[in-house]
Amino acid sequence: MVNKQDFKKVEEYVYEIPKSFRPDMRVPARLYADEELLEAALGDRSLRQLVNTATLPGVVKYTLAMPDIHQGYGPPIGGVIPSKASTGIISPGAVGYDINCGVRLLRSNILAEEVKPIMGDIVNALFRGVPSGVGRSGDVRLSHRDTDNVLERGSAWAVSQGYGTKDDLEHTEERGGMAGAEARAVSPKAKKRGRDQLGTLGSGNHFVEVAEVEEVYDREVAEAFGLFEGQMVVWIHSGSRGLGHQVCTDYVRDLQKAVTKYGIKLPDRELVCAPFDSPEGRDYFAAMASAANYAWANRQVLAHRVRRILDDVLAGVVKDRELTLVYDLTHNIAKVEEHPIDGKLTKLVIHRKGATRAFGPGMRDLPADYREVGQPVLIPGDMGTASYVLVGTAKAMEKTFGTSCHGAGRVMSRRAAKRKIRGQELAKELRSQGIIVRGGSMAGLAEEAPAAYKDVDRVVNVVHSLGIARKVARVVPLGVIKG
Amino acid sequence: MTKRFDEIEHTADLAIRAYGRDMKELFANAAYGMFALMAEPFGLSLRTKPSLEEPTREREVSLEATDYESLLVDWLNELIYLHEVEGETYSQFTIETLSPAELKAHVTGGPTKSKTKAIKAATFHELEVVKTNKGYEATIVFDV
Repeated sequence: MVNKQDFKKVEEYVYEIPKSFRPDMRVPARLYADEELLEAALGDRSLRQLVNTATLPGVVKYTLAMPDIHQGYGPPIGGVIPSKASTGIISPGAVGYDINCGVRLLRSNILAEEVKPIMGDIVNALFRGVPSGVGRSGDVRLSHRDTDNVLERGSAWAVSQGYGTKDDLEHTEERGGMAGAEARAVSPKAKKRGRDQLGTLGSGNHFVEVAEVEEVYDREVAEAFGLFEGQMVVWIHSGSRGLGHQVCTDYVRDLQKAVTKYGIKLPDRELVCAPFDSPEGRDYFAAMASAANYAWANRQVLAHRVRRILDDVLAGVVKDRELTLVYDLTHNIAKVEEHPIDGKLTKLVIHRKGATRAFGPGMRDLPADYREVGQPVLIPGDMGTASYVLVGTAKAMEKTFGTSCHGAGRVMSRRAAKRKIRGQELAKELRSQGIIVRGGSMAGLAEEAPAAYKDVDRVVNVVHSLGIARKVARVVPLGVIKG
Repeated sequence: MTKRFDEIEHTADLAIRAYGRDMKELFANAAYGMFALMAEPFGLSLRTKPSLEEPTREREVSLEATDYESLLVDWLNELIYLHEVEGETYSQFTIETLSPAELKAHVTGGPTKSKTKAIKAATFHELEVVKTNKGYEATIVFDV
């Protein structure tokens, strides 16, 4: 059990559990939160999971969690684990099953006012045209060769097949294709699951949302991102589907042996890992990067579908129906990055589990048009409240290994949400607020109810006040399809 | 009939506690609990109906591992895999051989007719197969 008094307040919004808290901790564990969010985190097992991450071999400085922290399996959701590439580990359990689950934001030159009267038609068209639900296949069937191409090239493969533009690639983290991907590291079972799921949404918290930029806080950055008040935008949240789940399943199983082989002691078997610089670690990295590329290609094909659907349904309503990618980012991944440790730039494996890279201005990985302002940090909230666009800062590089939060974060269990909330009533209530929602099942909708999430405004205020990402715009939902 | 499983609280994912008078029954009930959670949002209550549908499809599952916990996770993940790629939902699980090193099972079900709730995987998180005075129980967390 972790209690409030186990935390030391380092500064405003920064709480630390010292290394002395548990003998197996190698570094302290930090939580970035305000007092209320800290109290909320005490309500489930997430802080114990955070402490567990600080025991992994090769971790440096501190492991940390964002204000949207909540209970996961292995690390907490919202967790960041920095491990030395030379002597540290990579952990499939810490990246999780939905490898490169992520979000993309598309902007338009359409005013929300123009589309609000037909939001019902828009949502119905999206619901019909975007395959969702577990294992649901799409209309893209990949040959063996195509599958390997998707795994090694990601979004670039999708664009080469006509799904999107080169400009989309420029505005995707890693340009939608991570280096180091090798299709041979992905099992035939995983490939089989991936063969007919490209361009499908999946279920759980995945969604497509038509939204309105309600308020702009930073005009200069908003302009750089192409955002303005009253604008219609579209969010897409999905991941690597069955292929990614199988890659994680395979490596969580196979690396159990590596844990014994390398004499690693774990507080939780789900934190299974191998030295990054080992055959097992390299194989997992190659497979994980491949699954990440599949996820980028998936969101690329999804975006293509959404573009076509909206082009159809808005024909005759608005003239300019082009949707341009603002940015696409991942929030479940392990990446090799250089960060200063004891004054020296050091190669680290940064595991982000439900956390977003938030690089500040000047970083060379950013698209040329954003390099001066910093990376767009996309924070989807719950379907009834709001989402945010922020921008990465230099401070994130100092404090959080260039990381920000990834969402509102759950606070109520799925079981409790199902018990307390009826999907039908929820849909009715949201409709009365002007938000039209359709989902695969009413119970599934209830599990994703706004009341099951933390207050996104509060979560975002913490990262903004800390300066690890700065508010650019607040975006409110108009129409949502849930997987 | 004795209780097969309970759904337990988890903030982001799903978790069950499965019970069995012996290890074989524990494995069968864990699988049953998992499919019950998948089917429930769509009005197919496995908790009240012993079988999801007419058993028209049969599969043999054969797995090797090093301990019961690994085998339990493998077993559930194998069923998730079959559910997804074969488009089938299972409701009857007969464990024929079970040791810490090996599992052989016969499962029956039918084509998945309705949508089911997605379970991405069964995890090792805080997984422990424990002996109780009534038999065995295990808590399993699923990523959803």
